[in-house]
Amino acid sequence: MFRYEKKLQYPVNIKNPNPALAKFIISQYGGPDGELGASLRYLSQRYSMPYPELRGLLTDIGVEELGHMELVATIVHQLTRNMTVEEVKRAGLEPYFVDHTAGVYTQFASGTPWTAATFAVKGDVIADLTEDLAAEQKARVTYDNILRLSDDPDVNNVIRFLREREVIHFQRFGEAIELARERMDRRNIYAVNPAFDRV
Amino acid sequence: MHENQHHHPAPDFTPEHRTGILPSDAPLAVPFVPFQRDNPPQYSPEDGLPRGTIFPGLDLPWQNTVNRSQPAAGTPLGEIMALEFALYDLALYLDTHQHDTHAIEMAEHYMSLLHTARKHYVEQHGPLSHDEAIRDGKYTWLQDPWPWEYQERRG
Repeated sequence: MFRYEKKLQYPVNIKNPNPALAKFIISQYGGPDGELGASLRYLSQRYSMPYPELRGLLTDIGVEELGHMELVATIVHQLTRNMTVEEVKRAGLEPYFVDHTAGVYTQFASGTPWTAATFAVKGDVIADLTEDLAAEQKARVTYDNILRLSDDPDVNNVIRFLREREVIHFQRFGEAIELARERMDRRNIYAVNPAFDRV
Repeated sequence: MHENQHHHPAPDFTPEHRTGILPSDAPLAVPFVPFQRDNPPQYSPEDGLPRGTIFPGLDLPWQNTVNRSQPAAGTPLGEIMALEFALYDLALYLDTHQHDTHAIEMAEHYMSLLHTARKHYVEQHGPLSHDEAIRDGKYTWLQDPWPWEYQERRG
């Protein structure tokens, strides 16, 4: 089960509201490489992981991503706090505003609602962990791009933290592949899928 | 450049702290990431939290720009965040390095500091979890602030 901790993993305190930044940062909440998809990817893949290190790692990184969802949502919430209709118009936020007012919704920067089609659960150790490596790289690039677009130091402080976590997760998933390989057929790791085939 | 960031690559701790180990019998057609060596150098929890990792060898910032500090540094909640973060980064490390006794000792040390810090925090500022949320016969869970709210100075 899960229990809520009434605090963030990293402090978020954005002095200057700025809805224009929220328009694209929302993508790391419910976008194609965002934190919602990340947490569901890992928390769903873990059921077909045959080895304890992999079960533990996918659980722990999946839970951390839930905390990152909260960080990104907090950034969006604080950037749009107390905004007026004039500020909505100036930021070009009308399409979002008309559907969600100042609520925080899981969507891409482009406006597409979050979709489970952004991630896979293949039920195969090497395939799923290879997807996870790619997922961490794509999230890292999205944070790079946010840093290119944002000049708010309070926002960027949090984004730099989140970006570095993607680097750490990439490293751990890479190590997880090696730990899996050590337990598989050394002459042909694709001989069977240890999550399904009984050998 | 803002006071809260600076341009700075990760410092050198040991010659090999930025390199890992590849298997000697690496077969074809499998992705490989070098394995992080056991007992790697670590930042303190206070230095690790703003950088997003306690491991200097994995500290690879965009444009070499890193956070000098985190916004809650020096506050009671900032201390708890730093300790819990160090423990979480260590937990992911231990998931793939479960026999590293030095990392286990560090985790035990941080757990003991965290236990004390949380106890003091909850007494003065309110609950962080439901099992800390009843105090003197009162339900304290609902008291402000919630974590996502903007605070002039949080902690």
